[in-house]
Amino acid sequence: MNETEDIRSMLVDAANRIFADHCDQACVEQAKQSGWSPSLWRVLEDAQITRVSVPEERGGAGGSLGDIAALLRIAGRYCAPVPLAETAMLAGWMLAASCAEVPEGPLAVGPMHRDEPLAADRTAGGFTLSGRVTRMPWARMARRLVVLFEADGADWIACVDPARCTIRAGANVAWEPRDDVRFDAVSIPAADAVRAGPGVTRAALHARGALARAVLMIGALDRALDLSIDYARTRVQFGRPIVKFQAIQQEIARFADEVAAAAASAMAAVGALERGVPGIAIGCAKVRAGEAAHAGSAIAHQVHAAIGVTQEYVLHHATLRLQAWRSEYGSEVEWAERVGATLIDAGADQLWPLLTDSVA
Amino acid sequence: MLFGDVDFSTLVLPDAAVRLRAEVRAFLADELGSGRIVPHLGHAQFDAEFARRVGERGWIGMTWPKRYGGHERSYLERFVVTEEMLAVSAPCATFWVADRQSGPAFLRYGTEQQKQTFLPRIARGEWCFALGMSEPNSGSDLASVRTRAEKVPGGWRVNGQKIWTSWAHEANTFFCLCRTSPDEGDRHKGLSQLIVDLKSPGVTIRGIRFMNGAHHFNEVFLDNVFVPDDMVLGEVGAGWKQVTGELALERSGPERFMTTFPLFTELVRRLGRSTDPRARQTIGQLAARFDALRRMALAIAFEFARGQEGGAVKDLGTEASLVKDLGTFFEREITDAARLLIDIEPRPDADDAFERYLAECIYAAPIGTIRGGTTQVLRTIISRKLTGVA
Repeated sequence: MNETEDIRSMLVDAANRIFADHCDQACVEQAKQSGWSPSLWRVLEDAQITRVSVPEERGGAGGSLGDIAALLRIAGRYCAPVPLAETAMLAGWMLAASCAEVPEGPLAVGPMHRDEPLAADRTAGGFTLSGRVTRMPWARMARRLVVLFEADGADWIACVDPARCTIRAGANVAWEPRDDVRFDAVSIPAADAVRAGPGVTRAALHARGALARAVLMIGALDRALDLSIDYARTRVQFGRPIVKFQAIQQEIARFADEVAAAAASAMAAVGALERGVPGIAIGCAKVRAGEAAHAGSAIAHQVHAAIGVTQEYVLHHATLRLQAWRSEYGSEVEWAERVGATLIDAGADQLWPLLTDSVA
Repeated sequence: MLFGDVDFSTLVLPDAAVRLRAEVRAFLADELGSGRIVPHLGHAQFDAEFARRVGERGWIGMTWPKRYGGHERSYLERFVVTEEMLAVSAPCATFWVADRQSGPAFLRYGTEQQKQTFLPRIARGEWCFALGMSEPNSGSDLASVRTRAEKVPGGWRVNGQKIWTSWAHEANTFFCLCRTSPDEGDRHKGLSQLIVDLKSPGVTIRGIRFMNGAHHFNEVFLDNVFVPDDMVLGEVGAGWKQVTGELALERSGPERFMTTFPLFTELVRRLGRSTDPRARQTIGQLAARFDALRRMALAIAFEFARGQEGGAVKDLGTEASLVKDLGTFFEREITDAARLLIDIEPRPDADDAFERYLAECIYAAPIGTIRGGTTQVLRTIISRKLTGVA
């Protein structure tokens, strides 16, 4: 095992321990009301997990995109009600890639859509930001809203105190906070804004957000599959565990097919982005994760029968997140269309080269 | 969890494989451009001349030792050659089975004499192996084979019948899975693999026409066929273990999700510069599904490559079953997508590649999920591994 793998496995072990100890059914259930788990966040912060993949010189804990992806997969598995993806993989990246310090605390990012730009006017001391970001994850509990906006024909990034915005609380189908944020002529001192670094664009943020969701989704799929296997082995009907029935075995195998395909796709896309050649990999990953969520959630619930749809049982936390995350940062329809357009526009003779070059 | 320890983010083909890809692509473009090969979809075609040309390039037996005519290249390079061949549906039937299964089985279990006899010929593209596994009453339940071999002086006398033997009428030999001692409780014991010369006395081969009239399947009747002692593969009685090892190789490759790939290419050609959202979504979905399958197959190839370098190898046999399960459905999804997006009548006699491929894919559609392990058997294997319950 080389040093990188060593660090990765230490991180993964630590995260598994923390989530197992601090993110049980009660914690996730309670977050439906409060929106999140501040106590889990504090433990993750103390362990530096919320800063992984942010370079140390920018206030982070170091580590690679692959490292934070491995952690997000675990966070997805536990349905962790904290803005880990937003803070480390999205806001942390935007700021660090723009040579800015990453502020303390939980962070939210925007805009959420490629076609929802934020614009600001230049003033003597900085900028005046107006506009809105819809369905911004975790905005109301974030210490800062890290937003990408346009001014003077360039992209800028600002860290805005949410108290200076108008926030209308909202939620996704899994009751995770998805808030509408309005910026009414919020003045931003020049010191709180930086020019967006190379590669930090609305499209890049959207793609990275999609990848973060795909990785969270494979974690939730892992969980739903494990729960289904455990349930099938213990639930007895007709005098035997239902896993003895081939009808159930076939469904579990189908489920495993989907989980494996989604995981292969998502983690391969992480590698492609890390190497700076994402190509169509991220779009493929979001599509495949969405398809697996569709097929997998249905099988998980069918195997569990009625108990799976109750509030007291943990399965729905995973399956509802899968349904919510399918839509965020571009549904599989949006991404399939984008990937398809790339391939059709390139033409038939480039199809095979494009499909193979994405893994070099 | 399947593929549990595989880090898909790090699977990047080495430079040698990338360079080789360009060579293979150029070779195939020339083969197609000159009309020396004509793609047919669904079943790999038999073409002895093509096999020799591929052999000359050093692309058969790529991973085998040079002393047996191999080329000591990596499994990843072999993967690239395989997928390039499949992308244009090159006629690989002559060497497909030998390259993928028989050769590796010789290297693992064969005698020195067997290796020297067969491997160089296979690598030159001159020797074709078929698979002697299925029987009329042994399809998915392979351990129930009834073809039996009795010990006679200097060898074995084989009686029985094999079926669904692709290209037996063109092949030189097959590994015949047969019972060498009676079933005494443990049905996995007492099976052996014999190397049967398909031209030897007592062998009768009768074609079974596929539903479009094509001849690749056969029945093979074995009537007192003599097989000398030195043509036993591996240990007498260890046939089951040997065969199941072969099945992992049989199920993991891109041939389990790429047999309809050229239709995908021609579908994109038909779409021209379409901006139809439905067309784009469908092509994007197919690409995403293909990409996931390819990365899983690649992960298995990386594992074989690790083994070549002397590293510890994980058993990804269940994962291979998973790739085949998903992959064979994906092949049909290409056909379905083509039919839904381009409203033409499929024609087996068409000059147009798209129309002809569509017809060929319709004929082949039911067989992918049957040959090499049915969907239901594969899913049983997957479930058993995950749940520990049979």
